[in-house]
Amino acid sequence: MGSILEVRNLTKRFGGLTAVAGLDFDLREGEILGLIGPNGAGKTTTFNIIAGTYAADHGAIRFAGEPILGLPPHRIARLGIMRTFQHNRPFAGMPVLENVMVGAHVRFSRNVFSRKASSEERTQRERAEALIEFVGLAGLRDADVGTLSFGQGRLLEIARALAGEPRLILFDEPAAGLTAAELERLAGIIRGIAERGIAVLLIEHDMRFLLPLASRVVVLNFGARIAEGTPAEVRSQRAVMEAYLGNAAAL
Amino acid sequence: MKRLAWIGGFVILAVLPFFLGSYHNDVYRKMLLWVTLALGYNFLFGICGQVAFSHFAFYGIGAYSVVILLFQLGLPLPVAIVLGVVICVVLALVVAIPATRLEGFYLALVTLALAQLFIVVLNEGGNVTGGTGGIANYRLPPIFGWRIAGPAYTVVIVALLAGTLAVLWRLDHSWFGRACRAVRDNPEAAAAMGVDVARTKVIVFTLTSALAGIAGMVYAFVDNTVNPPIFGLENAFLILFMVIVGGAGRHAGAVIGAILLFLLPFWLSPLVGHHHQLVFGALVVAAILLQPKGLIGLWDRFSR
Repeated sequence: MGSILEVRNLTKRFGGLTAVAGLDFDLREGEILGLIGPNGAGKTTTFNIIAGTYAADHGAIRFAGEPILGLPPHRIARLGIMRTFQHNRPFAGMPVLENVMVGAHVRFSRNVFSRKASSEERTQRERAEALIEFVGLAGLRDADVGTLSFGQGRLLEIARALAGEPRLILFDEPAAGLTAAELERLAGIIRGIAERGIAVLLIEHDMRFLLPLASRVVVLNFGARIAEGTPAEVRSQRAVMEAYLGNAAAL
Repeated sequence: MKRLAWIGGFVILAVLPFFLGSYHNDVYRKMLLWVTLALGYNFLFGICGQVAFSHFAFYGIGAYSVVILLFQLGLPLPVAIVLGVVICVVLALVVAIPATRLEGFYLALVTLALAQLFIVVLNEGGNVTGGTGGIANYRLPPIFGWRIAGPAYTVVIVALLAGTLAVLWRLDHSWFGRACRAVRDNPEAAAAMGVDVARTKVIVFTLTSALAGIAGMVYAFVDNTVNPPIFGLENAFLILFMVIVGGAGRHAGAVIGAILLFLLPFWLSPLVGHHHQLVFGALVVAAILLQPKGLIGLWDRFSR
């Protein structure tokens, strides 16, 4: 299958620190790619460059063949890349359903004052309700987002990102702060997303969560790729795992 | 059914002035103008989260524009109205485009400066603005041979209110209104959802400023005089207070806040004279500390 996301020679410096150093990787259509590495390996910087939050010093990123490096976040979302935030960022003044419908922003094409606007609104509302059910927040549709637990807030992030009907979804450490039961549910949801044909890029710390889930893994250290392969292949590179993750026994 | 109720409501508002004396008609139409202004400001501040102090200045810009274009330049009424709107839109863009690209605080500063500058220009405007005395003794030109005055002009104000509410309501209950709330609640997340944050802010600022300008044009023929003290800064803050006390982000809150703070001085003056400002101050502080969702939030809690 072809690559939906191609990252080439990506480089980002913060003053004297090179956070990402000539990084190359590909994300194929429909796969779940895990981007792992120790703290400070450049995972989050890479994520933010793809999402348009940071500029890069060098390199190229192509999404579905189109160069996207340097575009602002809202243009990147419009092209079909949606993201979640590691620290949940809900729209606090709106109930759950409205939050999800903001995610559908790029799906609206009607003039606000046109006659068809209300039928479009209804269609998107139904889709948002279906997504709320998909992530398991059914019954909380009208809840104030302030009343959600941390884990529920994470699920809301996912439903909101899915509402944009992305071709690629970026997860920024989705497992962080979740309980064991919530992790199991999250893994199921991410598999379900991949089954819908949406490519998934996972930035993750938690190996026990990531390795069973990912179809392929790219290991970063000091901003460069040091290993790549299926979880089994990467896991077998004990030296790599010990050197860069410190605790191979945990796997 | 719902639509009929709305139309019926506005028909009652439009018929009411024909049963009021000239004093009460005057109070009534000014109250309606404040409600119109508060609705627009609520969209800017309460829904889109932009703190600006230029709303009342645009009301004045609209009023002065239409009067100057009509009576100093002798333009026909439709041309004066269209040009007045264009002036408001251009000025709003000039302020908003640079200001919204910076952090929110700068919009507050720039608009405060604009409001101050406007008063200076009015006072120093010589023959064009009439200086400190302003411009008076003009009348609304006849429209199709008909001179609209008295209660009939109040109907124009009701139409202005209905039109403003219809536009804002429609925007609010659409993807655009949701984008505005998203920008207010979390700009970074809004951008990640595909919302062009700067563009949304500029559109809302320009639209609500133009609506304030149109309201100002209508106001110009209420007292048939425009002068600098009317458009002073205290009224810019009064709109903000109305929206906060009523409940920011809700149309009904803006309406309640505007009516309450507009009428309050009429009841308070016999009791405390001109110290009603103190009561306003206390009300705003109480609203922010005790009831951030305003009176409409209080209503929600008790009606639940």
